[in-house]
Amino acid sequence: MTQPLLEIKNLTMRFGGLVAVERLDLTVNAGEIVGLIGPNGAGKTTVFNCISRFYNPERGTIHFQGRDITRVPSHEIIRLGIARTFQNVELCRSMTVLQNLLLGQHVRMRSGVIRDGLRLSETTRSEREAIQRAMDIIELLDLMPYRHYPAAVLPFGLQKMVELGRALVSQPLLLLLDEPAAGANAHETRRLADLIRDIREQFHLSILLVEHDMTFVMGLCQRLYVLDFGRKIAEGTPEEIQNHPAVIEAYLGESAVAL
Amino acid sequence: MTTWWRWCTLSNVVTLLGLGVVCLVPTILGLFPGIPLGYVLYLVSLGLIYAIVALGLNLLFGYAGQFSLGHAGFFAIGAYTSAILTTRADLPFILALPGAGLLTAAIGFLLGLPALRLTGLYLAIATLGFGLSIPQLILWLREWTGGSMGLHKLPFASIPLGPFPAIVFRTDQEYYYLALGVLIVMTFLARNIVNSDTGRAFIAIRDSEIAARAMGVNLVRYKTTAFAVSAFYAGIAGSLYAHLLHGISPEDFTVFLSIDFVTMVVLGGLASVSGALYGAFMLTLLQNLLTRLPIVSEFKNLYIVVLGLILILTVSFFPHGIAGAVQEARQRIERRIEKMLVGL
Amino acid sequence: MLELPWAQLIINGLALGGLYALAAFGVVLIFKTTDVITFAQGEMAMFCAFIAFTLITALNMPFLLALVLTLVLAAMLGVVIERVVIRRVSTTSLINPVIATVGLGLILVGVAGWVWGYEVRAFPMPVTGPPWRVGTVVLSQLNALILGVVIVLMVLLFVFFRYSVIGMAMRAVAQNRLAAQLMGISVNRINALGWGLGTALAAVTGILIAPLNYLDPLMMGDVMLKAFAAAVLGGFTSMPGAVVGGLLLGIMDSVVGFIVPELRTTIAFLLIVFVLVVRPSGLLGRHEIKKV
Repeated sequence: MTQPLLEIKNLTMRFGGLVAVERLDLTVNAGEIVGLIGPNGAGKTTVFNCISRFYNPERGTIHFQGRDITRVPSHEIIRLGIARTFQNVELCRSMTVLQNLLLGQHVRMRSGVIRDGLRLSETTRSEREAIQRAMDIIELLDLMPYRHYPAAVLPFGLQKMVELGRALVSQPLLLLLDEPAAGANAHETRRLADLIRDIREQFHLSILLVEHDMTFVMGLCQRLYVLDFGRKIAEGTPEEIQNHPAVIEAYLGESAVAL
Repeated sequence: MTTWWRWCTLSNVVTLLGLGVVCLVPTILGLFPGIPLGYVLYLVSLGLIYAIVALGLNLLFGYAGQFSLGHAGFFAIGAYTSAILTTRADLPFILALPGAGLLTAAIGFLLGLPALRLTGLYLAIATLGFGLSIPQLILWLREWTGGSMGLHKLPFASIPLGPFPAIVFRTDQEYYYLALGVLIVMTFLARNIVNSDTGRAFIAIRDSEIAARAMGVNLVRYKTTAFAVSAFYAGIAGSLYAHLLHGISPEDFTVFLSIDFVTMVVLGGLASVSGALYGAFMLTLLQNLLTRLPIVSEFKNLYIVVLGLILILTVSFFPHGIAGAVQEARQRIERRIEKMLVGL
Repeated sequence: MLELPWAQLIINGLALGGLYALAAFGVVLIFKTTDVITFAQGEMAMFCAFIAFTLITALNMPFLLALVLTLVLAAMLGVVIERVVIRRVSTTSLINPVIATVGLGLILVGVAGWVWGYEVRAFPMPVTGPPWRVGTVVLSQLNALILGVVIVLMVLLFVFFRYSVIGMAMRAVAQNRLAAQLMGISVNRINALGWGLGTALAAVTGILIAPLNYLDPLMMGDVMLKAFAAAVLGGFTSMPGAVVGGLLLGIMDSVVGFIVPELRTTIAFLLIVFVLVVRPSGLLGRHEIKKV
C-alpha cells in the first residue's frame, strides 16, 4: 500500500471554548479528487487553514509525502507542493491578473532585493520564463482578455478563476480548493467540474476540495468526508455517502431529492 | 541589434529626453540673469535629496504598506554617520556615502523586527518613537556627535580618481550634478525593485498578508527587507544632505521632517516611483518658494496657511496624488488620440 | 531600591498622564466614530483656548460662561470642518484624511499666529488656591482638576458609547459604514456629531492645559505627540484605554525623566514599543483577526 499524499491524524482545533475540528482523520492519495463537505460552520475551512498552517492545531498531526508538516511555517507550505484557494477570494487586488500569477511563482523564482534592484540578466530571464508560464495558465483558464486588469475590478467568478490560476502556476502536487463553485450557476458549475478533471489529468495533481454544491461534488469526487460540528460523521464514495443515514439527517435532507 | 531597437519605447525615449533636460538645468537657469543661481541650485539639490528619501519611504509605505512616521531618524543616522566618518575617521566621501547607507540599512532592518507584529497606527507610533529618539540619542552621545552644536566644517564631497585629480563638488552647481547622479541611480534601482519579484512580494504584504503567506512570501524576510531598503535610501540621502550643508545639528531632524516625508509620498502618489519624485519636488518648492512670493511674505503666517490649504486641496482633488493625476491625464490623452485615429 | 522620591514622582506622573489622557480623548473619539486619525487635534485645542482667552480677557466674560460658549463654538467648528474638509477625503483612502488634518493643523496655526501673534501669554487660571499636600507629596489644584475632569469624562464617554443609542450608532458607523446606512443611520450626521464632540473635547483640553504653561500657537505640539502615544499604548479604540495609557505614560515619563532626563522620550517609546510587541493592539485594545 503506497503512502498517502496527505495524511491527517487526530486533528483537533479549538477557538477559546468552541471546538472547530475534533479528532479528524483524513487522507488524500496521489491522483485522487477528495471532497470535504458538511453544513456551514462544520469546520471545513478550519481544516484547510490547519493544513496551510494559518492555525496551530491543538492536537493531531498532518503529514505530506510522509513528512510531518504540523508545525512548518505557513510560507513554507507552497514550497512543499500544497497550493490553495480561499473561500472569500484573497487576491492582491491592486495587482493585475498577470501579476497575481507571477506572485504565485514566488517560490520558483530566485529573488533577492539586491539581485532584483540591479536587474541582473538571470533576473530578467527568470522573469520572462515566469511570464510565459503565467500566460499558459491564463490561456488555459480563458483569462486572456483580463490579464492586464487589476483583480479588484473583476467579478467574483473571474476572481475565483484567477485564484485557481495562481494556485496552479506554482506547480503544486496537492490543490486545496475552498468552494471553487461558489456563486456559479449550473452551467458554469458543470464546466468547472470538467476543468478540474482536465487539470488533474494535465498536471498530475491531487485535489482536496470543500464545496456546498452537491451535484458538483458527487459527480467530481472519488471519495468524500462529511463533517458536522467539527466531527467526521461519514466517509466513503459518493454512493455510500448519499445513502448514509447520519449524513442525510445532518445535511443532505432536502437536497437528496434533487440528486 | 534587436535589443537596442526594443528599448526605444515611447516611455524610455521620454525618460531619456527628461534626463537630458534635467542635466542642462544649471545651464538653462544660468541664462536668466535675475535668478540667484547658487541658491536655486541649492534648493533643487535639497529637493533631489529629499526625493531619494521619498523613494525609499514609498517602497516601504506605498508598496509594502508599512507606515513610518520616523524617517527623519534614518535620515539623521545617515547624515551623522557620513559626517563622523569623514571628520573623525578621515574616510573619503566616496566611501562614507555607501557606508552611511549600509549602516542606516542595518538599523532599518533592526527596526523592522518589532514592526513585524504591528500594523497601521500602532506601527506609526512605534516609528514615531524611533524618529523622536534619534535626536535625543544624538544629543546624548555628544562626544561623537558634537551634541547640540552639531558637526560642522564637513569636507567637500569628492570622488578620487587615482592618479588623476579628484572630482571635488565645491559649488552648488557641482553638487547639483552629484545629487542628480545619485538620484538617477536610486530611481533606477527603485524601478527595478518595483517591477520584480521583490516588488510583488511587497505589494502582496500590503494587499493581503494571507495571500502573501500562502504564496510563500516570508513575511519576516520581506518586511525587514522593506525597512532596510527604505532606510538605505534615507541613509544615502542623509549623507548627501550633510555634505550639501557642510554641517548638521539635531534640530535638522525633527518629527516635522518625518511628517514632511510622509506628505511628500502621499501628495506625489503612493506606490508610484515617479510619484515620490513629484511629491518631494512639490513640497520642497512649496516650503521654500512660498515664503518668497511678494504677497505672502507680507503676512508671514499666510505661507503656513497656504501650505495647509494646498495639502487639503491636493488630497481632496487628487486622491491618488500627482502621479495619479498625471496617469489619468495620460490615459485621457491616449484615449482621445485613439478616437482620433479611429475616426480617420 | 533606588533613592527616588517615588510618591511625588508618581503623583507628578499621574498629573502629566491626566494631560495626555485628556488630549487623547478627542482623537480617540473622532477615530471611534469616523475612522479618521486627526493630526489637528492639538491645533484645535490651541485655537479654542485662544477663543476662550479672548472671551475672558477682551470681553471680560466670567470663566464658566466663556468655557460654555467656547465649547459651543468648538462643536460648531468641528461640524463645519467635517462637512467642508473631511467628508470629501475620508472615502478615498485611509491616509488622505490624515494628510488633510495635517493641512488643517497648519491652517489653524497660521490663522492663530495671524490673529493673535506668536508672543506667549498667560492663560487665566480656572482654579486658584494653594496646592494640596499630603505629607511630602504635592499636587497642584489645576492638575487635580484635570485628573478629575479626565475621570468624569472617561465614565461619561464610556457609558455614552456602550449604552446610548447614539453612541452605538457611532460605533456602528465606524465599523461598517454600509451596514450602518442600511440600518437607517445617517452616516453624515453621525460623522458631524463625532467631529463636533471631538472638537468640543479639544476645547476642554486646550482650556485646561493652557494655564499650565503659556498660551501660544505652538503650545500643544509636544503634548499631542505624547497623547497619541498614550492612546496607542492603551489601545486606540478605547476611552478607558486612553486613560490607562495616559497615566502609565505619564508615570513612565516622570520616573524616567528623573533618572535619565536626556533619554526621556527614547526610553518612554522603547517601553511603548515593548508593550505593543507583546500586545499589538495596545493594553486594552481589541485585536481584529481576519477570518479566512
